[in-house]
Amino acid sequence: METIKKYLAEIASDENQVKDFLEKNETEIRSFFAELWRKHSPAAAAQPVAEAAADNQQAQTGTQRFNAGVQPDNEKAKNDSLAFQIKNKQIAFQNGKVGQAYCVDFDIETLGIPDIAEVTFEGLEAIGLQHLPEEKCIKGNPTQAGDHKIEMKFKRKDWEEGKPLLVREVVFIINPDPRVLWSKNIPTPEDIEYYKPDSGKLFVKVASKKTKGVFGLGKKELARKDMVAASQRGRSHAIEGKPRDDDFLLYFDEEAEWYVMVVADGAGSAQFSRKGSQIACQTVIEVCQEKIAAKKGDFSKLKATEQKNEIGKILQEIISNAVFSAHKTIETEAKEKGRPIKDYATTLLVSLCKKFDYGWFVGAWWVGDGGIGIYRKEPEYLKVLGEPDGGEFAGQTRFLTMPDIIQKELYTRIRFDVVEDFTALILMTDGVTDPKFETDANLNRIEKWHALWDDLNGSNEDSVSVAFSDDSEQVAEQLLRWLDFWSKGNHDDRTIAILF
Amino acid sequence: MARRLPVYLVLDTSGSMMGEPIAAVETGVQTLVSALRQDPYALETAYLSVITFDSSAKQVVPLTELTAFQMPSIQANGLTSLGSALSLLANKIDSEVTKTTAETKGDWKPLVFIMTDGGPTDDWQKGLNELKKRRTGMVVACAAGQGADTNVLKQITECVVQLDTADRSTIKAFFKWVSASVSTGSQKVDSGTEMVGLGELPPPPPEVNIVV
Repeated sequence: METIKKYLAEIASDENQVKDFLEKNETEIRSFFAELWRKHSPAAAAQPVAEAAADNQQAQTGTQRFNAGVQPDNEKAKNDSLAFQIKNKQIAFQNGKVGQAYCVDFDIETLGIPDIAEVTFEGLEAIGLQHLPEEKCIKGNPTQAGDHKIEMKFKRKDWEEGKPLLVREVVFIINPDPRVLWSKNIPTPEDIEYYKPDSGKLFVKVASKKTKGVFGLGKKELARKDMVAASQRGRSHAIEGKPRDDDFLLYFDEEAEWYVMVVADGAGSAQFSRKGSQIACQTVIEVCQEKIAAKKGDFSKLKATEQKNEIGKILQEIISNAVFSAHKTIETEAKEKGRPIKDYATTLLVSLCKKFDYGWFVGAWWVGDGGIGIYRKEPEYLKVLGEPDGGEFAGQTRFLTMPDIIQKELYTRIRFDVVEDFTALILMTDGVTDPKFETDANLNRIEKWHALWDDLNGSNEDSVSVAFSDDSEQVAEQLLRWLDFWSKGNHDDRTIAILF
Repeated sequence: MARRLPVYLVLDTSGSMMGEPIAAVETGVQTLVSALRQDPYALETAYLSVITFDSSAKQVVPLTELTAFQMPSIQANGLTSLGSALSLLANKIDSEVTKTTAETKGDWKPLVFIMTDGGPTDDWQKGLNELKKRRTGMVVACAAGQGADTNVLKQITECVVQLDTADRSTIKAFFKWVSASVSTGSQKVDSGTEMVGLGELPPPPPEVNIVV
């Protein structure tokens, strides 16, 4: 070191600078020269850098020669050389996760530094891990998330009490449990503009109906379907105390016996989409209510199978009017507040449904992601009433608030189906379809719907089930609880409406 | 599987980065990753890749789940083959980023952060042309110090920032901002938004200047 100091002093003008430089870089310089010396020693000439960790045998031979070249009195150089090897060895341990069993193989032999006899890890216990030299592994149950600096302390083969240990730092990365990070639930402040509760649920019980018999004979109790819906603010909103953007509404017209379900997903990017989705649901229900009342005479006249087309036409009129009004009402709200309509961007899924003698007549309208489907468990039947609007990359969808949707696609998005019976007519926002169906193609696979139905009926890791057969108010609460399912990376608002 | 947010870090490891800057970049990436692990959005969605360029370009970490990511040590030497880096980036986007089809749930559009302290020494235009054919999310270019050619960077992307000096604390500040930007990115994608301009990222710290 002295020689170097002298040399540096000659070429540098500031003595303090030299001192600083040497102090800061002492280890590096020492290792550098140790390595230089090692390389040029007779042993190294035969076997260059002993880096061949993969081939232990070879490394062993190399070391014997290397040892032969080491002058026994040069203790410091020997340590420096070893320190250099240890420092430059790629040693990395797989990352762990809090609460998840950790186990990696670690065998000192595989380091390929034969001069080392033993290694201890300092700090592992504190994070829930253990080095087990006999089992040649590091294992345990990590308890602390973070980048943990752990000291590896090496003993040379000829180590004895009083001699220094060679130390090297390694980093153990322990990931936090995402469930813990997501567990924060901050209520939405009630004083924000357009406040809406963080969750919602609704059960519409439709009482069974007595049929008119002929002269008092053949009277029957006809069981009718019920509707249930629930909407839950996503965890991504909950951790920040942001409002739910999804919305829904259900309506049963007692007189004409039409079931109407609406679900809407306010765009996350739009500042007031929670109002957009709410207006959309509200308006669709209002217009349907009004139009159904106006047409109720027609429905009772057009009962025959061959009059299906007429029903279709009426339904088309109702749906297009309802959707158009929803768009217009949002537009008016935006104008009143002096904001662009896209601030209220929302998807929209609508279904209207009525039982005729020939079966259930279902009409639907759909813009954006999510899904509407008629599902029958047995005999198997599935009809998806539209296509999700997705783009080439994730997250590109279309909204009710886009001018093209109303100007060009109002009618093309209407779908009809007539079915004898079904297990469930389901409307969902993408908060449910993303985790449960994953891809657009899966939305058309009945296995996925079977799985969803089983899931709703309790086959899930939390054993939460919705007792559809009970017909009690409980179903709405159960459905809301079901919506709380865990799915990695899927923490959007979730809304589902079911006619069953 | 949830949708992934691919993040590409394209880093200059030319000779001029030797010493403090390269060490700061390495630490910077580590800090970036460890900060992102605290963010539940990023933890579940962000995937990270590191491409370095000197006399040639090399992907030192393929697109890797944030939880499994480990930053290798990087060395500085050689020239500044920015063009090769952009071509390599384009290839990697093709092979690593999944597009959404009916059958697959695609990734979010990749976020790209490019950092360089000099002017390119190869045909950067060729690399840029390759990259332009791919769909990327926001591309942010960072001129580290006064030696970087911001005119070239401006042609790569509208989002160019400059560090006054390429020292430890400035580079650290830059990566802290990148981390905040990726967090914002993973939140935005969570809500289905696309990021298009610097205005949508968190405001850069005083050490990081926006180049207009």
